[in-house]
Amino acid sequence: MTSDGAVLSPRLNTKLGGLRWASTARPVVALILFGVAWEAGIRWSGTTLLPSPYAVAAAIVELIQQGVLAKYIVASLFRTTWGFGLALLVGLPLGLFLGWFRPAAEALNPVIQILRPISPIAWIPLAILWFGITDAAPIFLIFLASVFPITVSTSAAVHGIPRIYLRAAQNFGVSGWRLWTRVIFPACLPQIITSLRIALGVAWLVVVAAEMIAVNSGLGYLIIDARNAGKRYDLVVAGMLMIGFIGLILDTLIRRLEHLPMVQWGLQNR
Amino acid sequence: MTLLLVAMTKAFLLPVLVFVWIATISVLHGFMNLGWTARGSSDGASLVQIGFLPVTCHLTCPVTDFIRRETRGSGLFQPIKFNSWPELKEAFLARKTQATFLLAPMAIALREQGVPIKIVYLGHRDGTAVVVHRESSIRNFSDLRGKTIAVPNRFSNQRLLIFRALRDAGVPISEVNLVEMPPPDMPAALSVKAVDAICSGEPFMGQAELDGYGRVLALTKDMWPGFISCVLAVHEDLIQEQRPLVQEMVDGIAASGLWIDKSADNREQAADFVAKNYYHQNPRLLAYVLSKPADRVTYSSLNLVRENFREIEELGKLSGILSGKASFDDYTDTSFNPKPDSIKAPDFVYDK
Repeated sequence: MTSDGAVLSPRLNTKLGGLRWASTARPVVALILFGVAWEAGIRWSGTTLLPSPYAVAAAIVELIQQGVLAKYIVASLFRTTWGFGLALLVGLPLGLFLGWFRPAAEALNPVIQILRPISPIAWIPLAILWFGITDAAPIFLIFLASVFPITVSTSAAVHGIPRIYLRAAQNFGVSGWRLWTRVIFPACLPQIITSLRIALGVAWLVVVAAEMIAVNSGLGYLIIDARNAGKRYDLVVAGMLMIGFIGLILDTLIRRLEHLPMVQWGLQNR
Repeated sequence: MTLLLVAMTKAFLLPVLVFVWIATISVLHGFMNLGWTARGSSDGASLVQIGFLPVTCHLTCPVTDFIRRETRGSGLFQPIKFNSWPELKEAFLARKTQATFLLAPMAIALREQGVPIKIVYLGHRDGTAVVVHRESSIRNFSDLRGKTIAVPNRFSNQRLLIFRALRDAGVPISEVNLVEMPPPDMPAALSVKAVDAICSGEPFMGQAELDGYGRVLALTKDMWPGFISCVLAVHEDLIQEQRPLVQEMVDGIAASGLWIDKSADNREQAADFVAKNYYHQNPRLLAYVLSKPADRVTYSSLNLVRENFREIEELGKLSGILSGKASFDDYTDTSFNPKPDSIKAPDFVYDK
């Protein structure tokens, strides 16, 4: 898009600039409308339990002043990093293996499909029994939530590689390790990146459930702790919004992976 | 050469960034949340861990801990705050906590199921209320016929309390709808009239009252004087291996119970330091339930008494949560009951 901009006529360029302005303005307008609707809903219903956007903003300021917001964000990101990282370390090789070696996929598929739909919340008792009340328990739950999407779509990606790639590689005498690094892995990358994006979203999604275990930090803990604190739904909603914002940032970051040259190759050759 | 360098930087940039991120977030977490500082980190690890919930039924746990740390500089045990009954119970069963504050009927039921635990002391007396909506027409327990009542857990003594009150009012239990609900959610459920009555330990009932939509139907002190919701339960091997420690814990709880009950001022101090350091609640809310009225919840006579548990057993069987397989002698160890007059309230003044 940017390289094309130079050859466009000045008029079209201004129009594009206008479009770019509009594309930033639209979400801002939508957010403001959302805030107004929220405020209106609170006033119209006359509720004293649910907080207004202003009260939530004040709660976020309070959390910053107490110094706990940074702590909680770090704690949740720490658990998500390790849970997701371990899921990647396990899910990616496992997915590649299952995609390539079909008998193993046929054998393991039922087990994976049985484990996959189980909510991490259901695993909480086992997480406590195995990992106690340390950070390992929430990390395990986040791992569980993200390992299956990675495994399943990596396996599907390998399985779906066009035969012609493999035949061409064979003709050029590419085999073994080089076949994996030069053909199979790059060809699967776009699909893998998409699955990572989904898995990271899920990992961040379960942070609240994962922090229901006796940890004393994290954005999920903030929400659960605020419920124990009486009428502090401003803190609950503040925690929800922080999870949402950080989720947006994580998604933006992981989407940048799609622009890597290696990934572009796989995309172009679809 | 430069080209090669650029290519290598590009190839390694992502792994390096990933590594830097993992290291940074882990170190930050260590320092900000796990207390990785030069000193103090070893303190919690070696101590016996006691589970508790942020409710007044467990107040003696943080009070004992706080007074001891303030006066002696180190803790006797490590209090671990949980957010709900199932997680607290599971950590105890998995021996991740060696002792815990627990619902009395739940402790008995676990013993019946063969878990080698013993109740060694009570946590409190009273401190539960039944609250209805301010605008409701419910004036006494017979008005609860056909209504929905929220209780914390099927193994909670609050549920048995409802069974007892309805039996005394002549209302068959089949004519009410009992639902289990985490106490923190109860005030909101009552305010939107999702339920007709709520019953749990404080401060959640006091909250519904303070917020203006709740009306107390009855306090336990008037319905079932000396009501016990929670007890201190320990694994049997902790008793065998560390008997003096268990005794010290019981004595500490007994002493801090006397300290809380000594004066209204002490109650206010307790509300303040517990709310700020342990429960993360509004100190005014805790102060309210600890003072309006002063005997809403008490902490002075915490010795295990056979008669108290007889009634719990009976109601437990009536409500179908206990089989009667375990007797008082199975599920309690009364040898830790401090001798009369052997415990004194500590001289402690909390300096805000």
